[in-house]
Amino acid sequence: MNKLKEELNLFRNEGLTELNNASSEKELNDLKVKYLGKKSNLTTFLRSLGSLSPEERPLVGKLVNEVRADFENIIAEKSSTLKEKELSGKLSSEKIDVTLPGRRNDIGHKHPLTLTLERVKNSFINMGFSVAEGPEIESDFHNFEALNLPKDHPARDMQDSFYITKEFLLRTHTSPVQVRTMQQAKPNSPIRIIAPGRVYRRDYDATHSPVFNQVEGLVIDEDINFSDLKAILEFFLKDIFGNSVKVRFRPSFFPFTEPSAEVDISCVMCNGKGCRVCSYTSWLEILGSGMVHPNVLKMSNYDPEKVSGFAFGLGIERITMLLYKINDLRLFYENDVRFLEQF
Amino acid sequence: MQTSIKWLEEYVEIKETPEELAEMLTRAGVAVDSIEYLGKDIEGIITGKILSVDKHENAEKLSVCKVDINTEILTIVTAATNVRKDNIVPVATVGGKLADGTKMKKAVLRGVESFGMFCSTTELGLDAKLVSAQDREGIYILPDDTPIGADIREVLGLDDVVLEFDLTPNRADCFSVLGIAREIAALTKRPLKKPSLDVKEESSENVADLTKITIADSSICHRYATRIFRNVKVKPSPAWLKKRLLAAGMRPINNIVDITNFVMLETGQPLHAFDYDLLENHEIIVRKADKDEKLTTLDDAKRTLNPDMIVIADKTNAVGLAGVMGGLHTEVTEKTTTVLLESASFNNANIRRTSRELGLRSEASSRFERGVDIRNITNVLDRTANLLEATDSSITCRGIVDNYPNPIAPTEINFTKDKINKILGTNIDQETMVSFLKSLEFEISINGQDMSATVPSWRSDVKQVADISEEIARLYGYDNIPTSTPVFPVSETAEKSTSSIVNQIKEICQGIGFYETISFSFVNNRTLDKLNLTSDSNLRKTIDILNPITDDFPSLRTTLLGSLLETASSNSAKNNYDLKIYEIGAIYKSEELPITKFPVEPLMFGGLLSGRRHKQVFSQSNDNVDFYDAKGSLEVILDSLKIKDYIITVPDFETSNQSPEDKDYINLLQTTLHPGKSAIIKIGDELIGYLGEVHPVVMNAFDIKRKTYVFEIFLDKLTKYTTTAVYQELPKFPAITRDLAVILSEEIPASAIREAILKSSGNLLESLELFDFYKGEQIPKGSKSLAFSLTFRDKNKTLTDAEIDPIYEKIVTNLKEKFNAALRS
Repeated sequence: MNKLKEELNLFRNEGLTELNNASSEKELNDLKVKYLGKKSNLTTFLRSLGSLSPEERPLVGKLVNEVRADFENIIAEKSSTLKEKELSGKLSSEKIDVTLPGRRNDIGHKHPLTLTLERVKNSFINMGFSVAEGPEIESDFHNFEALNLPKDHPARDMQDSFYITKEFLLRTHTSPVQVRTMQQAKPNSPIRIIAPGRVYRRDYDATHSPVFNQVEGLVIDEDINFSDLKAILEFFLKDIFGNSVKVRFRPSFFPFTEPSAEVDISCVMCNGKGCRVCSYTSWLEILGSGMVHPNVLKMSNYDPEKVSGFAFGLGIERITMLLYKINDLRLFYENDVRFLEQF
Repeated sequence: MQTSIKWLEEYVEIKETPEELAEMLTRAGVAVDSIEYLGKDIEGIITGKILSVDKHENAEKLSVCKVDINTEILTIVTAATNVRKDNIVPVATVGGKLADGTKMKKAVLRGVESFGMFCSTTELGLDAKLVSAQDREGIYILPDDTPIGADIREVLGLDDVVLEFDLTPNRADCFSVLGIAREIAALTKRPLKKPSLDVKEESSENVADLTKITIADSSICHRYATRIFRNVKVKPSPAWLKKRLLAAGMRPINNIVDITNFVMLETGQPLHAFDYDLLENHEIIVRKADKDEKLTTLDDAKRTLNPDMIVIADKTNAVGLAGVMGGLHTEVTEKTTTVLLESASFNNANIRRTSRELGLRSEASSRFERGVDIRNITNVLDRTANLLEATDSSITCRGIVDNYPNPIAPTEINFTKDKINKILGTNIDQETMVSFLKSLEFEISINGQDMSATVPSWRSDVKQVADISEEIARLYGYDNIPTSTPVFPVSETAEKSTSSIVNQIKEICQGIGFYETISFSFVNNRTLDKLNLTSDSNLRKTIDILNPITDDFPSLRTTLLGSLLETASSNSAKNNYDLKIYEIGAIYKSEELPITKFPVEPLMFGGLLSGRRHKQVFSQSNDNVDFYDAKGSLEVILDSLKIKDYIITVPDFETSNQSPEDKDYINLLQTTLHPGKSAIIKIGDELIGYLGEVHPVVMNAFDIKRKTYVFEIFLDKLTKYTTTAVYQELPKFPAITRDLAVILSEEIPASAIREAILKSSGNLLESLELFDFYKGEQIPKGSKSLAFSLTFRDKNKTLTDAEIDPIYEKIVTNLKEKFNAALRS
């Protein structure tokens, strides 16, 4: 029996050494068969138990089981380290150059004028305004007469127009949408609209485009006053240019409003220090506004004794140039893709 | 309009800096455009009297002068040839500075020390157009009565600051120095010192005996008044007068012209002086010009007039273009001894049209266009008489001949404090309102709550309560008006439906790599020709502009194709070859031309693809776009808009019942696009767009090198087909997928096979996708292979092969019978 014990111990040491040296999962599996399989020496030991005395049998059986447990433990342990090693080997062999460019879908771009228009629209829609539209080929009546601009009114000078016939022209501003909206509404009913669109003037040089985009606004209700106009426009300008922007209202003249106000903001280029863009005045003209002229209300069957309103108009190109620091108006209509892809 | 601060100070005290003054006026609605400090570039230039001029001993072309500058006698070496003994000239002394920045230093010229230099008008920085031709030559010789040793800035009025105004058309009253001064007085609550109107009338003659004024048509001339001056001495103006004119940007000429100009600048009322002796019969007739009547104006231009123009005439001839420019024949010259002075008011619109038509804008016409103060017309004559007398230029005849057919009564406006506060959203008290209006020279009468304002004659722009509210708001300060948030009821609709589809398309296009472009709405014939449109195409029937700005923009576009291809062309010229662009914008169409009613402005969505499919990066193929990229983009967009049942197909060219509009586009598919690579997009029978490869001829015309694909969709038609998503229950049972590859004649369109499969597959077919297309050596010539993937599913149970097999067989049989299609194995 001592001999048996000795053999078993020898077998155990031999097995442990060999298992411990296994260098791959496959080798470990082969060794597992060799040491724990049906044909393994361990099985032979167990079979030889029968030749032992009943007293010796449990002792040796216990020893055999201890060896088996040792083998199983080391196999489990070894298997786990080998798995880890293999995985990390696999991962390191799969390494790629992450600095190569990404595989991307080509992204498109909205025109910067669209981006600005969307911001302007959202700002007013959030304040409860609706969006109205009107034709670009307008009648002299809608474009001028109904806006308190009779023929030969000197203010018609300010907007030299493209005429189609004597009676039709390309609208010089979005203000005719005011007239259309009032004339389609029930007299004296409340109105709160903005009207974006293309407008046309006979002017073409580095700082004037014959086609450009305006947004008109009109609010009519009982008891609308100048102080409301100030609040809405101040809110809008801060929404677009940020809360730190300063807003200045100063008297001006538009035939369709009275009192009229030009609205300036503190120069967003130089923050009021004075620069070329603001002609060193630290202020930028940003929009025209005023209380709707009583004659305009009357022309569209609204009663100036019952309701009042304010109107405003702003240029999308100008705001876009300020928002994105674009210094040349002509870029908007040249559609150079190297310009467009910057937005 | 520009004026100097020193001139303003003659009428009102100014304590503010020029910058403060400008800000104050701007905030009150009289916008100051710029502030110019005159003479800021020159320094140390002093008037000196030349005591002697001697030849330089060592230089033929130089002279050595002794000059008295009051404090000392300087030696100055000069090359100038126009200086003589006793001339008074500007002397730049050592340490001084010229307008171009040159610093004066002591110099030694051929052995003689020189302590400064004489200056020309250029070296003083004077605007050449304000200097007479004579004074522009050589050294500037000053008048003999110029004080010696004085700073040239004082002498020439360059120690002044000029404000340039950007006036709004309503404020005609501010087109004068007095008008601006009145604003300053009102804003600072300081008194306004009005100019003297005292006239001596030393002549014994009566104007009424010397002339007769006839207004032929009171609609063209509302008032015409005149004074006559005898013993006229035409001479240079005194220095003070010259300074004022120079600072206002006008060149001094002689005392008579300068005084009339001065009074115009001061009061805003243009005047005209005639040589009385050259007026036939010494009379004035204001009438419309005869057809093709000729008149040579002061600028020596022979003008042909038309009956819309107003002329001032004597008994036989036109002698002046009313309100615009005088005639040359009756001009005041050195020979003039008697002057007839005109102060009048003409029809603004006529003046405006005349000055337009003749391209003649003068200081006078720009004031008449805005309107003059009609009730002040005779006062202006008195003011002029006062200045002519004060300058010893003439003696004044007695009285005024004033033809004023329909005197205009002052405007009265009734208002209350509450009414004004309601407009402004303020709480200004009555007393404050009254003080504001009084400071602007409105006369106010008060009866309890009710007030009445009499508008001053120069404020014809103030007509109703709204105007009064602006005057009060202006003086109260727009910035002092509080802000209040109006309460709005809930809005009914926030967006128009077309604007929502436009927004969606722009979002989708951004996602699929398209760049948005925005083009002018114009087109010209060159572009229409390049598009190769048939001569009878309605797309050539453009709405034209009567007064186009250039040859490039004579008409309005009828298609976005021109805009897109021009954009592609200009980008291609800059080596931007890879393009995926689109534009959403209107086109302009009318069935009748010229238009007599509102034309239609359909909203279009057009796109263009050219060059490489993807940006050139290592992981993407380097292929160019083809027809299927354009088609695929459109499909993605239409599907995203949830538009169902659209068909992209070849049009039926033979059908005769096409609408004329559809016919234009079907023709376009043949001429502008590649006839074999273009298609229309239909929903039901309605044509909603087209797409295709650009015809090689058109590519060539636009100078585009890479194959280019375009599409155009009628957004107005499309809008009604958009739907909203409705949730479909997710499948509970698995699907069975079968592939089907058939070989058939290449003439048979894939859509026909698709249709046939759909028709014969019953309602278990869930989806049908074409996944392979093959033409080549592995199959017979003239045939192609199409492979479809068919997915079958039953909503209520798991399908078995046994159920699908017969359907599959039926499809195969059907394709075989109908198209002679063979299964490909």
